[in-house]
Amino acid sequence: MAEKHKPAPMVDEVSDFEVLEVAVRELAIEKGLFSAEDHRRFAEFAHSIGPLPAGRLVAKSWLDPEFKKLALEDGFTASKEVGIDWLNPTGFGTPSDYCDLRVLENTPSVHHVVVCTLCSCYPRPILGHSPEWYRTPNYRRRLVRWPRQVLSEFGLQIPADVEVRVEDSNQKCRFMVMPMRPEGTEDWSEDQLAEIVTRDCMLGVALPHPDRKADDKRPVHKAANPVHGH
Amino acid sequence: MGGLDKNAGTGPVNQEPEFSSVSVLEKVREKGKVWEDLAKKYGVDNPDPPWKINLDSTCEALSAEQCALPVLERRNEEDVLSESLYQDVPYPERQLLALAHSMIERGLIDEDELALRMKFVSKRLNSA
Repeated sequence: MAEKHKPAPMVDEVSDFEVLEVAVRELAIEKGLFSAEDHRRFAEFAHSIGPLPAGRLVAKSWLDPEFKKLALEDGFTASKEVGIDWLNPTGFGTPSDYCDLRVLENTPSVHHVVVCTLCSCYPRPILGHSPEWYRTPNYRRRLVRWPRQVLSEFGLQIPADVEVRVEDSNQKCRFMVMPMRPEGTEDWSEDQLAEIVTRDCMLGVALPHPDRKADDKRPVHKAANPVHGH
Repeated sequence: MGGLDKNAGTGPVNQEPEFSSVSVLEKVREKGKVWEDLAKKYGVDNPDPPWKINLDSTCEALSAEQCALPVLERRNEEDVLSESLYQDVPYPERQLLALAHSMIERGLIDEDELALRMKFVSKRLNSA
């Protein structure tokens, strides 16, 4: 069997960008702008975060009305129930002074979506790293003006009779969306429910679906008019 | 939604700063191989280069206690640079170029010492 094992492909080349990153970091440390220990701890924090705690918070809320009430009234305290302490998310201090998580409940008449118009504030301790599109000026500029248009570009059509509310993140507050529990999940466990609450659902650019999990491979639809003969 | 809070202590951010090119960074922009090309060449499928976490951590550490580079100023300048000098560079390479640019602009690091350090680092990383 051993001869069948092939190592995963790796990039065996040092790029100028990799060199630049190391050089900038080393100079900053040497000049005392931060310590190597600080950097290592931030890196460990960055490696450890992801959207799972937020998905768990939503799943618990779907199953437990009391917890849902807590999550909507006090996201900070509810976060502790899923292992996230916003006062000390890194375990060694806060990267900034945000500590107010607000959970926005979608209803049959209101759909929430989250943005940061000024920069890219994001509830990282509970939702992990922001996707690239969330940082783009294009998304940030247009979502607040034409939310339905932007959501339709994500493949999400919000009916005209549903109000769309855009929440603008800021230095004090972070937001996440609590989507509505989809039909077809009536007898599901918390673990099952947590699997279908994807990052995009909690930003408000997608809706949970019983057939779609966070780690599913996305379907690839062949183009009707392919380019380059593919 | 409390957007003014973001400006506290960080100076005006609505004024768009103007930047001129920095020689050492221009060389990286022109000749550096971006991750999406390297990933394709070597058949790997991770969307971010391995150095992305270190870059994010450097940004965090710079805005932590001593706050050598406030997060809002850095992000504002990254937006401006991403739509001007580095508009043809993909993310996260342009985030890195913008960070280095902001640091040089503020005198946190010097262009010449960065060029020299890059030579040393390149030699070290490429040593057998």
